Amino acid sequence: MTMQIGEEIPELVKHPTTRQLVQYAGAQGDFYEIHYDQDFARSVALPGVILHGLLKAAFLGQLVTDWLGERGTLKNFEVSYRGIDQPGRPYRCRGRITKVDGAQVELEVWGEDPDGNRTTVGSATVLMRE
Amino acid sequence: MATTTTVERLRARVGDAAPPISATVEAGHLKRFAEAIGDPNPRWVGEAPPTYLVALIPVSIHLAEAEEYGKGWLNGGNRFEYMEPVKVGDRITATGKVADVYEKTGSSGSLLFIIFETEYVNQHGRTVARLRGTSIRR
Repeated sequence: MTMQIGEEIPELVKHPTTRQLVQYAGAQGDFYEIHYDQDFARSVALPGVILHGLLKAAFLGQLVTDWLGERGTLKNFEVSYRGIDQPGRPYRCRGRITKVDGAQVELEVWGEDPDGNRTTVGSATVLMRE
Repeated sequence: MATTTTVERLRARVGDAAPPISATVEAGHLKRFAEAIGDPNPRWVGEAPPTYLVALIPVSIHLAEAEEYGKGWLNGGNRFEYMEPVKVGDRITATGKVADVYEKTGSSGSLLFIIFETEYVNQHGRTVARLRGTSIRR
């Protein structure tokens, strides 16, 4: 299978809810109140509860592993959180191939809010099987 | 309000390592994690998805003095490096350290950046992953 630089990988749209944030807080063991307590979130100048950065990272991880399947292994995965995201708003995960070097393929990945802002940006490096 | 002393005291913590923490990857926890992130891939029944290690063992070292700075925490970013898959039943030992502390002043005020690095080693003594995380006080 050929990998073309610039090629977009299939997107993944997630629909996070407050319920999912509570579920994720429990699964990760991150009980920082900005992810489930509206009053607390507002008290630290946020518009309301926000998604965990690492939940958005998990969404982007799924974007990459769904695309990759059993064709290779993930070697590096990096994300920077540039903006906040609130539950009840769809979160669109996208990615694009940026470099192909033998079996090593690099992608840029990002998550977009419904206004098209890239609130999370990152990259992934995968090693394709021979 | 930011004080130089808070930042200086935190800078003195750079290089500090937390005691190693070990945990076993349990099928039930892995299932709850995959459900929480909403990833139905059957592969995650036996193998850890890319960000799972942060749920297995807490990654940041508690720095009480950091809470004197600003109002709250933000996660700036995470970088994972993978050497080997992590599977159900693996016994993982994580060793975390404070890799860097610095302050940045921008148009909207000052931010304090704390960089944590964690190395994950399995029951065979092999490093399976490394994580670098940026925590921000604002």
